[in-house]
Amino acid sequence: MEGSLLAKIEKISGVVPAEGEVPVFNEGDTVVIATRSPIGHYRMPTYLRGKIGKIEAIMRQMAVDNEEEGYGRNAGSKGHYYRVAIPMTEIWPDYIGSANDGLRIEIFENWLEKPSDV
Amino acid sequence: MGTENLVRKLPNDIGGDEAGKIERVEHVLLPWEKRCHALADVLDFHKIINTEEKRRGVESLGAEMIGKLSYYERWIVAFANILFQKGILTPGELAVKMSEVEGRFSDVSSTHHS
Amino acid sequence: MSDHHDHDHDHDHAPITVDELPGYFDLMETAVRELLVERKLFKAEEIRRQIEVLDSRTPALGAKVVARAWTDPAFKSRLLENGRSGCEELGITFYDDTQLIVLENTGAVHNLIVCTLCSCYPRPVLGLPPDWYKLKPYRARAVHEPRAVLEEFGTFIPGDVEIRVSDSTAIIRYLVLPMRPEGTEHLNETQLADLVTRDAMIGVIQVAYKREAA
Repeated sequence: MEGSLLAKIEKISGVVPAEGEVPVFNEGDTVVIATRSPIGHYRMPTYLRGKIGKIEAIMRQMAVDNEEEGYGRNAGSKGHYYRVAIPMTEIWPDYIGSANDGLRIEIFENWLEKPSDV
Repeated sequence: MGTENLVRKLPNDIGGDEAGKIERVEHVLLPWEKRCHALADVLDFHKIINTEEKRRGVESLGAEMIGKLSYYERWIVAFANILFQKGILTPGELAVKMSEVEGRFSDVSSTHHS
Repeated sequence: MSDHHDHDHDHDHAPITVDELPGYFDLMETAVRELLVERKLFKAEEIRRQIEVLDSRTPALGAKVVARAWTDPAFKSRLLENGRSGCEELGITFYDDTQLIVLENTGAVHNLIVCTLCSCYPRPVLGLPPDWYKLKPYRARAVHEPRAVLEEFGTFIPGDVEIRVSDSTAIIRYLVLPMRPEGTEHLNETQLADLVTRDAMIGVIQVAYKREAA
């Protein structure tokens, strides 16, 4: 919903968006969550590092990277957050439940990567 | 992993960790706890301490304090630390002020409650 | 020190009344607040006002939103499109800069909300979260064994119904729109709102309705 709207705006108007304004990922894209280990403060839980998911929605409102916000940055350096869908069986090999069960989480763009070989 | 996991995995990052039964505890906030929550909101409105800095401040209390202090005890200690770091307050000023506040109750400090 | 802050009793502690020595952390809160007010970083009045704001937010607000969505399909579609503006239509303001996604439970999907990293919660609509929502067992287990967690709350979701757990981490908060129970066609919006509990809007239980014996 949110993502397709953004895509539409871009196509119809043809205006030049500011740097970073156009989301890097689109709805339905497969993404890999990065495996890095920041220290001090992070908002990407360790249980999801390296897992593969799909972009379910793009959060229209851009926002500051919350890892930077944690050290007092209140403005600038904005980017997109994405709502990402990840199957429970992808996260937990021993998952007890239905293969359809899933997790949804909002992830800042700099934690998401395109799969290297698809 | 040895000690490095103390650094790489923050104490509040507990999704998927082993944990026991969910005890359905709840309590009505004490007046100071509610004031502390309101203080957090006002600090965030003014971006004196934003919500994310508060979270970081709580994480940096370390596992022992996170485990033993109550929710709002963690918040107020984190606020104090962040205000010191930002140069807004000094540890000495806070200590003096706490003594002054405590002094307002000096006539009851000997009678006391459990 | 520990005996000072361990106030498990439930009588009122009026801040000005001098009948009891405040605990260590209570003193610290007062000291921090007063120092910041003295430095003119904010006014004492702002804290009093925010306490009123907090007191005005209870699960009854969320229940109104749910009941309206159950009875007004156009409202429901606006609410699902944008949770925050849907709530704002009913006068529920968002004082904390968060956005809201409303997650609809259906016969095919059951939603559950959690915050594994801290205690993110749709406070403008539900008020403050219960303690168990903020404690380790719920936060650790909801993302790993949601069906076992639901069963501890007495909620049994059939295997062919998808469980969707939303882990809040940033600026988005979630509110579960529970399924309207069967047999409630004759109830009005107010009566429906009375059925909706906080835990149903977290997603740990479903909304129940038992027709009262006439």
